[in-house]
Amino acid sequence: MSAPADATAAASAAARSDALPRQPWNRPLAVVAVLTVLLVPLPLVLPGAQEAVAVRVLIFALLSIGWNVMSGFGGMFSFGHAAYFGLGAYTTAWLLVERGVSPWIGMAAGMVIAAAFAVVIGFLALRYRLRGAYFALATFAFAEMLRLWAIGSDFVNRAEGYHVPLLPESSWWYLQFEPGSPNYFWIALALTVAALVVSILFLRSRAGQFTLAARDDAEAAASLGIPVMRYKLTTMALAGAISSVAGAFYVQYYLFVDPDLAFGSSQSIQAILPAVIGGVGTIWGPVIGAAVLGPLSDVTATILRNPPPFLEFLQGRGGLDVILYGLLLIVIIRLLPKGIYGALQERWSRR
Amino acid sequence: MRKTWIAAVACALSLGLAACGGSAPSGAADDAPAGGVGPDGTIKIGSLHPLSGAAAADGQQMDNGARLAVEAINEAGGIKSLGGAKLELLSADTQGKPEVGQSEAQRLVQEGAVGLVGTYQSAVTANVSAVAERNRVPLVIDVSTADSILQQGYQYTFRVQPSSTVLGAKGAQYLNEVATAGGAPVRSVAILHEQGPFGSAIRDSFTAEAERLGIAVGPVIAYDAASVPDLTTQMTQVKAAGVDVLVVTGYYRDGVLAAQAVQTVQPGVAAVYGVANGAFDLPQFPAEVGQAGEGFFDANYHADMTKPETQELARRFQERFGDPIRTGAVLAYDAVRVIAHGLETAGSADPEKVRDAIAGAELDTLLASGGPIAFDERGENKNAIPILMQVQGGAVRQVHPGEFAEAEPIYPAQPELATR
Amino acid sequence: MSRPAEDVAAPDDAAATPTTAGAARVPWARATAVVGVLVVAVALAYLQSGSGIVVSQAVVTGILVGGVYGLVAMGLTLIFGVLDIVNFAHGAFLALALFGTYWLVTALGLHPLVALAGNIVAMFVLGALVQRGVLAGAMDRPLENQLLITLGLAMIIENGLLLFFGADPRSVALPGDRGVAILGAVADLSRILAFAGALVLAGALFLLLQRTRLGTAIRAVAASSTGAELVGIDTRRIYVLTFAIGTACAGAAGTLLAPLVTIEPTTGAQFTIIAFVVVVLGGMGNVVGALVSGLVIGLAEQLGGLLLPGQSPLLAVFIVFVLVLFLRPQGLFGRSG
Repeated sequence: MSAPADATAAASAAARSDALPRQPWNRPLAVVAVLTVLLVPLPLVLPGAQEAVAVRVLIFALLSIGWNVMSGFGGMFSFGHAAYFGLGAYTTAWLLVERGVSPWIGMAAGMVIAAAFAVVIGFLALRYRLRGAYFALATFAFAEMLRLWAIGSDFVNRAEGYHVPLLPESSWWYLQFEPGSPNYFWIALALTVAALVVSILFLRSRAGQFTLAARDDAEAAASLGIPVMRYKLTTMALAGAISSVAGAFYVQYYLFVDPDLAFGSSQSIQAILPAVIGGVGTIWGPVIGAAVLGPLSDVTATILRNPPPFLEFLQGRGGLDVILYGLLLIVIIRLLPKGIYGALQERWSRR
Repeated sequence: MRKTWIAAVACALSLGLAACGGSAPSGAADDAPAGGVGPDGTIKIGSLHPLSGAAAADGQQMDNGARLAVEAINEAGGIKSLGGAKLELLSADTQGKPEVGQSEAQRLVQEGAVGLVGTYQSAVTANVSAVAERNRVPLVIDVSTADSILQQGYQYTFRVQPSSTVLGAKGAQYLNEVATAGGAPVRSVAILHEQGPFGSAIRDSFTAEAERLGIAVGPVIAYDAASVPDLTTQMTQVKAAGVDVLVVTGYYRDGVLAAQAVQTVQPGVAAVYGVANGAFDLPQFPAEVGQAGEGFFDANYHADMTKPETQELARRFQERFGDPIRTGAVLAYDAVRVIAHGLETAGSADPEKVRDAIAGAELDTLLASGGPIAFDERGENKNAIPILMQVQGGAVRQVHPGEFAEAEPIYPAQPELATR
Repeated sequence: MSRPAEDVAAPDDAAATPTTAGAARVPWARATAVVGVLVVAVALAYLQSGSGIVVSQAVVTGILVGGVYGLVAMGLTLIFGVLDIVNFAHGAFLALALFGTYWLVTALGLHPLVALAGNIVAMFVLGALVQRGVLAGAMDRPLENQLLITLGLAMIIENGLLLFFGADPRSVALPGDRGVAILGAVADLSRILAFAGALVLAGALFLLLQRTRLGTAIRAVAASSTGAELVGIDTRRIYVLTFAIGTACAGAAGTLLAPLVTIEPTTGAQFTIIAFVVVVLGGMGNVVGALVSGLVIGLAEQLGGLLLPGQSPLLAVFIVFVLVLFLRPQGLFGRSG
């Protein structure tokens, strides 16, 4: 989907004229539509605890789609994506708890704030020409600064965080339903589908093509007259906005947020893992990765809850399921270094 | 064209199958009523604690404490008002993560738990109490310091341990009493506290009560418990202020650092006084810091080791798990007893009725307490109090108030200079 | 994802680094700037706290703690400079070394400093095995693949320690540990020893890299792996050896740190992020840079605690970090692109 030659050719063509060569973008959109239809009845057949896992999968898929836009398509490895997730979460929580504003509005506001923050970070980092691991760690530093600021700031209730007040009855306007309600799944599905569609459209657009070109060879792209900085910032803003939606929904689903949950490094890592497992720089990577990883820790925990007799001495000592999880991560990434979808792509393109 | 369709189906399948492949409930359909006596005649109680991760030591102890409670109750004949029905403990590892805690709580509720105990970390407890509230299953918090959870108006959450307000206020009172009785009334204290909500809440309630008693409070020094490598700079600030007593609030790791800093810097205080300190009343604290921790006080909720029932529990715990029991495990033990008491009184395994029974309950406790366990309208344990302990001769002894004392408090207890 | 060319040494680099071939030159301008900023920070801290004793204690503690940070980061920066691997399992290796020290001291009754030798050897072997077995195939993969592999490793090691040793905190005491007065402040002997150990280790690594054939080979591979192969250096062997040396450094750090920390399976994790900040700040691949930037971070943390009371001192650390990166994107001593 992104060989350097194609991208530069397309970019230079676009730079010369307004007509882009015909790209088969309708197919991915059709796939999204089919998937959506297939998944809609899912919560009606799943028992409550599995539905919780499915919703969790969608939240992390959403977070990772945002990460992928910036780090996979944009080539700017973000190690502080929790910043956007947390900004979405805190904006929604603050507006809801302090001002009684609907979380839908909070979500929109969160997107704006996260996008703005992304532009600021991106501008500083790119202006000072940070690259690679330096750029990654700078993004992490910004996420940590947000976390530490939130811990120390009375404006956002310091380290206590916010509890979302429980409403006496379900409300679409306030995004709160009975526990285990399929509405949560459907809303999360809708948000994820929207994010997928947006990322597909973005890739199809001029901005997206230019970004791919800039990722693969910034100098060549610049020499073709592409304003690299502008498109990189656009990509970062989009990535921030998408991930902030995940944060906003998270608050409404889990009903609690504090600085560590919102801005902590484990969320930054949660943004990265699904995309890497599924395939960085591919449309489907984050979704596949989230679908695999989401229930993985549950599955390992279940298997080990009643360990086979020869492992019984380990019962009562926690940690075995995490070891299994870590082992699986290593195995997957060694066997499929381009991720699941990346490996599939490679096989098909070889035919 | 074919490959994208295959990709689509693969996605859908993986999403669907994966979601199904998660923790499967043991036979319960998703429209089964919550709670109730299970098909095998047992009543299930859920235990949610961090069995892995940074808090695993305490989480595992607490889970073991809950387990002993279930076994003790079953040995004594189970729930008599339900025909001697036996209890079964469903253990879950929250891993210290709120999302995991939430889905595990959901799973336990789905598997028929009539009550939950847990969870130790406040962020996880916040999530779990929301699950409990929305599923109408009672949660009895054994350890969790955040007061905000019980200020949400939840009807289904109860807490056995004392609130931060009580811990701080009583801590100040005990300090005043012990110092006066020791002939050296306290005029000024410095507070060294971890900067999170726990440390800040204790600081506020302690300061309010101390100032009411005429004790000057300051300097107040905060530190980041997660990252602090060394407390000598902070201790030097305390020394420079020349206060009578140093009050310390924090967790285990930083409590050890504080003791080491006291020994290195020698701030010249009459006593080092922990309030709800996560280190100073643990048996391994004197073992780890040696002479450096001698004479340290801690005003904290604690198992009442003067009670024969508590001593019996400690003996059984040591025998069974090879580990001296800590207060968290005793709290978990009591929390399970609260649920069992609720079942007994309600005469029903319907979680809503159990909740009502718990709300009106009164039962004796293995903790040092100002009375039986009884809950107010917010779910706080009305009679929960801290007691004062002191490290004497390398062991932690209860010293105040008198009815719980195993030994006399030594005040002033100038930390001695000693080589380790 | 493209790997930026400037992370590998540029042959016409003017900045002095021990991992490049050529004589080391002291960057006077930069050193003066850093010292100047520190002096200003100390002065402000004095104004804020109002006590000279407190500030001098903060400076002494900052330097000693910073030495420990540098010690932890040295192995990490070597691994990155030569193998281009961002090792997220470094903290876990550190925790392994801490438990190793605990076991050597309590089960075998060894003196902690004797345990130092044992730990270094054991971790060296472990590092070699891990590199050969797990990482060799992921060498030229993008950053995110390495992240996953080393993250998985970290989970396995940490939880393996949890399973094997249990979750209770342990401790190791240095016999004869006591407070020592330095420059009007006090410090524990064990911390001073750890600082001395950091200096010794930095010196040893410097000598290794500059004065031995192995060191030259390592620097050659760091500069250009294809070029090194062309002159007949077995790059795979160098990779294994370098990773082993880096892990052995973590082993040394673990023993020196053991009397200073509460030993739990998750103890290493608290150092991982600081180690990364130190490595990036000092310039990836630069061992002396790691030591110096460790000192800078240690001082930033202590002084930051005084300058911004009520805020986490880490905030000051990250502010310093970000500012330095803006001023010098390749780190304090990194090679310019």
